[in-house]
Amino acid sequence: MKKNEPQGMSAAPARFKVGDRVQVKNMPNMFYTRTQNYVRGAVGTIAALTYQDLIPEDEAFNYDGRLEQYYIVRFRQKDLWEEYPFENDTLQTESPDRWLEPVNH
Amino acid sequence: MTSRPELRQQYDIIGSFQPALHLPQNWNYENPAPLFRAYMHPPHDVGGQQDVPVHYEEKEEEQWELNTYVTCEVLGWRGVWTAEERRRRADNDLGYTLYLGMPYYGRWIWSAARMLVDKKHISLTELLEKIAEVKARYEKK
Repeated sequence: MKKNEPQGMSAAPARFKVGDRVQVKNMPNMFYTRTQNYVRGAVGTIAALTYQDLIPEDEAFNYDGRLEQYYIVRFRQKDLWEEYPFENDTLQTESPDRWLEPVNH
Repeated sequence: MTSRPELRQQYDIIGSFQPALHLPQNWNYENPAPLFRAYMHPPHDVGGQQDVPVHYEEKEEEQWELNTYVTCEVLGWRGVWTAEERRRRADNDLGYTLYLGMPYYGRWIWSAARMLVDKKHISLTELLEKIAEVKARYEKK
């Protein structure tokens, strides 16, 4: 747990496990976010479950009530940048649960 | 009083802050969707943007930078703000011109001062008077 994290709060259960395919939600972008513009709408794979923490868009404005599971999501570089020259390279970034949707294929 | 040449120089610099995307008028009546999305984009999300190669250089932290870091962390330990609020203020709220133009820790201390005023821990009047007082003290030395 990080130093200032509220103790004893329980997060909603993790919806995803390692290996699940997920799509990043393409939400409106204004004021603050930790979800990069270039992963919005992209499909990736859950590489790891990291920790539970506050939602960035809440915490940045002092709404501190809700904890969520965070994940490392792995994308193919070619899925993000079609001109990317190497077939097998990947990019990993971190996302809280609410930014992800299940992909059934 | 600021000398007139100094004042003219300040106004010339401020004039050059005009957005690099020149449009026939400011405060457009309408912005097409791609332009609107670009305006709404948070400045700190820089990934994927084109840039020129930048010379990499190892720079030692200066005393004022260390002081700034400690001040901001202490404000966190005292529950005055969180790191996420600091990022929101120092990387986004200050806007592109300051985001790109200020030193890294300059943005931290700008955002700490702004936050203390916003949350009524110190009024802007008190802050201005304190800065003027300290500045005068240093000028005497």
